[in-house]
Amino acid sequence: MDKFKNKFLEEANENIAGLEDALLKLEKAPQDSDLVEKVFRHMHSLKGGGAMFGFNQLSDFTHHLENVYDRVREGTMEVNQGLLDLTLESVDHLKNLLQQGDELSGDMATRHKNLSLQVKKYLESGATPSGSQSQPSSSGSQEQTYYIYFDPDEDLFDNGTNPLFLLDELVGLGQAFVMPCLQGIPLLAEMDPRKCYTHWEVVLATTEDHSAIHDVFIFVEDQARIEVQKLADGNLLSNETFRKALEEKYHKDQDLGIDAVKGLVPAKDTGTAAQSPKKGKQSNGQARKDEGIASIRVDSEKIDHMMNLVSELVTTQARLSLHAEHSENNELEEIAENVQKLTRQLRDNAFDIALVPVETMITRFNRLVRDLSNSLDKKVQLQTEGTETELDKNIIETLTDPLLHILRNCIDHGIETPEERRQAGKPEEGKILLKAFYSGASVHIQVHDDGKGIDPEKIRQQAVEKNVISPESQLSKKEIFDLIFLPGFSTSSNVTDVSGRGVGMDVVKRNLADIRGEVEIDSEPGTGTTLTVKLPLTLSIIDGLLVQIADNKYVIPLSAVDKIYAANHSDVVDTFNNLIVLDGERIPFFYLRKEFNMPASDSNTQEIVVVQYNENRIGLVVDTVIGEYQAVLKSLGKMYKYQDMISGATILGDGTVALVMDTNKMIERFSSDRQRMTNVESQKK
Amino acid sequence: MNKEDLEKINSYLTFKLGEEEFAAHVSKVLSIMEMVKITKVPRSPEYMQGVINLRGQVLPVVDTRIKFGMSPTEFTANTCIVVMEVEVNGEYVQVGTLVDSVQEVLEITEDQIQPPPSIGSNYKSEFIYGMAKVNENFIMMLDMDKVFSAEEMMNVQASTAEGEKQETSGEQSETAASESSQ
Repeated sequence: MDKFKNKFLEEANENIAGLEDALLKLEKAPQDSDLVEKVFRHMHSLKGGGAMFGFNQLSDFTHHLENVYDRVREGTMEVNQGLLDLTLESVDHLKNLLQQGDELSGDMATRHKNLSLQVKKYLESGATPSGSQSQPSSSGSQEQTYYIYFDPDEDLFDNGTNPLFLLDELVGLGQAFVMPCLQGIPLLAEMDPRKCYTHWEVVLATTEDHSAIHDVFIFVEDQARIEVQKLADGNLLSNETFRKALEEKYHKDQDLGIDAVKGLVPAKDTGTAAQSPKKGKQSNGQARKDEGIASIRVDSEKIDHMMNLVSELVTTQARLSLHAEHSENNELEEIAENVQKLTRQLRDNAFDIALVPVETMITRFNRLVRDLSNSLDKKVQLQTEGTETELDKNIIETLTDPLLHILRNCIDHGIETPEERRQAGKPEEGKILLKAFYSGASVHIQVHDDGKGIDPEKIRQQAVEKNVISPESQLSKKEIFDLIFLPGFSTSSNVTDVSGRGVGMDVVKRNLADIRGEVEIDSEPGTGTTLTVKLPLTLSIIDGLLVQIADNKYVIPLSAVDKIYAANHSDVVDTFNNLIVLDGERIPFFYLRKEFNMPASDSNTQEIVVVQYNENRIGLVVDTVIGEYQAVLKSLGKMYKYQDMISGATILGDGTVALVMDTNKMIERFSSDRQRMTNVESQKK
Repeated sequence: MNKEDLEKINSYLTFKLGEEEFAAHVSKVLSIMEMVKITKVPRSPEYMQGVINLRGQVLPVVDTRIKFGMSPTEFTANTCIVVMEVEVNGEYVQVGTLVDSVQEVLEITEDQIQPPPSIGSNYKSEFIYGMAKVNENFIMMLDMDKVFSAEEMMNVQASTAEGEKQETSGEQSETAASESSQ
């Protein structure tokens, strides 16, 4: 049972997330009936599941909400701000209910009561003004009578379903006449109390359509035979003759069957559009297939395990390829090549499974922006770009909190109030742009606001006041902005409950460091602030370029590689300023043997791998380029924790170890070294 | 045998660094390997020899001699890599240690172990918690966890020092190279 319950909780959380998402979208497009449908559907699933697993409070509460949206769906009620506010608040409450179950503590209980009352009130007040015009007439004309046959499997009780609840729900749809068929019940001595022996026939007059009736049975579809057939237009149950005939017939012999019931229908009312139950069900299933996501749920541990296995496979495949190459056996080589191709596909596929688009975080961000800007009386719009950019699931999980904090800062400190903005000649509504994109071997996430920006001088002063820097120290703009990430540093003059207590940005930096991410800030006073989070593609397997330097092999991530050139030894070894002209462009380069403190090579030719470093192209001089290589990235371990130029190691086909370069970090370090060297030299002079 | 039982027994693996004999408790030792090609990691502290492939995993290798303040290891037929599992800041870490030669597994009881001499030691004595006299030879008892516990701090210091040293040596080699080419 616990297993099912967990499943329900998982699903319920998803439903709540979906609900929230749909509501936020609905806010922007209140007329969109698809969205209303979606809202309704999520609520319905929540309600059904909740009741089944003993979350009665949750179920009841959702039921009332569902009623409200049912009206919206019918068009007798309108989506407006008040309703959305109430619903979103209710969604938060639902989250709590889900956590706490049925036992509500003091605070929660009052909240529950208040919200329930509000929802109910809304239902009553909202229905009257708009409902009066169309409800009676439309319901009159649309009312139809259905025959429903519900025969649950014997083991229906096993998963805790009570068929009577379903019937109650059915009766709730309109006017109904329920006829239980009890002949199936055996003698008491032979009866197994865990089994369901009864089936039911129901004649239902309702304004709901076919699918609404099917929705009632949505959770038992696989465990019961369900037939829904239209008997006639209009309400047959209000027809005295039909009703009497039905009652009489039922008392005489139960289990009438559709034909017998149809026989009782007065001739003129016989439905022309009697649908065969099978067809109805099929189309219903089809519809659900279209709207649902064709996905399965997998334990993330299983994915990790699969990734490990794929890694092993890639390593083994490298060995096979190497062996096949030396064997001079054409057939073996061909097989090895095929295995390589398949492995690559499998690897990409497996890797893809572990990736999650940035999109998944956005709902939470939208919600935050909405709530926070309302409570601060600011107008803020969140725009997103490149949300299809994918990142490892683990990275996304760690990333959400820091990003939330960054957004909070943007709204609280960055964006001004509408008046201030008007005075500054900006549109009243502030804009936050969240942009995700790939850059070389990393993913960048940028948060840009068009608020008041940060004044470097102000930070400087504050840093001096707090004794973080000395008054006479010379800092570049970037260095000044970096001070913001120091613990206990906040420039906001007034402390609010949102942010500005001086904890935060250092925590953001630390959290990001855990996933080897970096954060940078840049700002222009008056025009806005841009925060850039750089995340490594900590992929466990990467496509790389295998190169040789002295007797060691290295892997350069292919994503960073731009072009490869051949060069003469003399061009790169003792040049004056480490620049080389390639394709008519002057490119700075690093002679890796020298940088790695190895003797210069005695070969006449060298190869230059040109890589992308931020906006620049930088050459890395290696001995030879061996070729493309799929590298299974392994950590160098704790003992090399401070070795950031090398992001890991990989095991080659022949069992030796090749090191994987982090070109960004490496170039960064080389250039700062060079900077220091020139400083030292100029001091000497 | 599980780890706890292993820690209770009095067996020690002895090995030589130069002429001196050292002992490490067997609970710390995972395996002994012959020398294989070690891949040097650029710009790492001198005592970090590099990494090797240990059954598909990447294992860092430490030059124990440099770590103990001796001259760097010279590779001979007897040079071995002893794979150990040590506890660093509460985490278990596997590391390969280079030794000049592996001797034997010895039983050393507690009463054979004397406190280390406080003065006149040639080695960084904070790693040595005692001396044992076995067959007229003195064996230095190593606390392997301690050998690596100060690691992180030293690692930072060493790598920055190394970086600076490298710069100057790089400069020299550059001038040397340009001279020779002239």
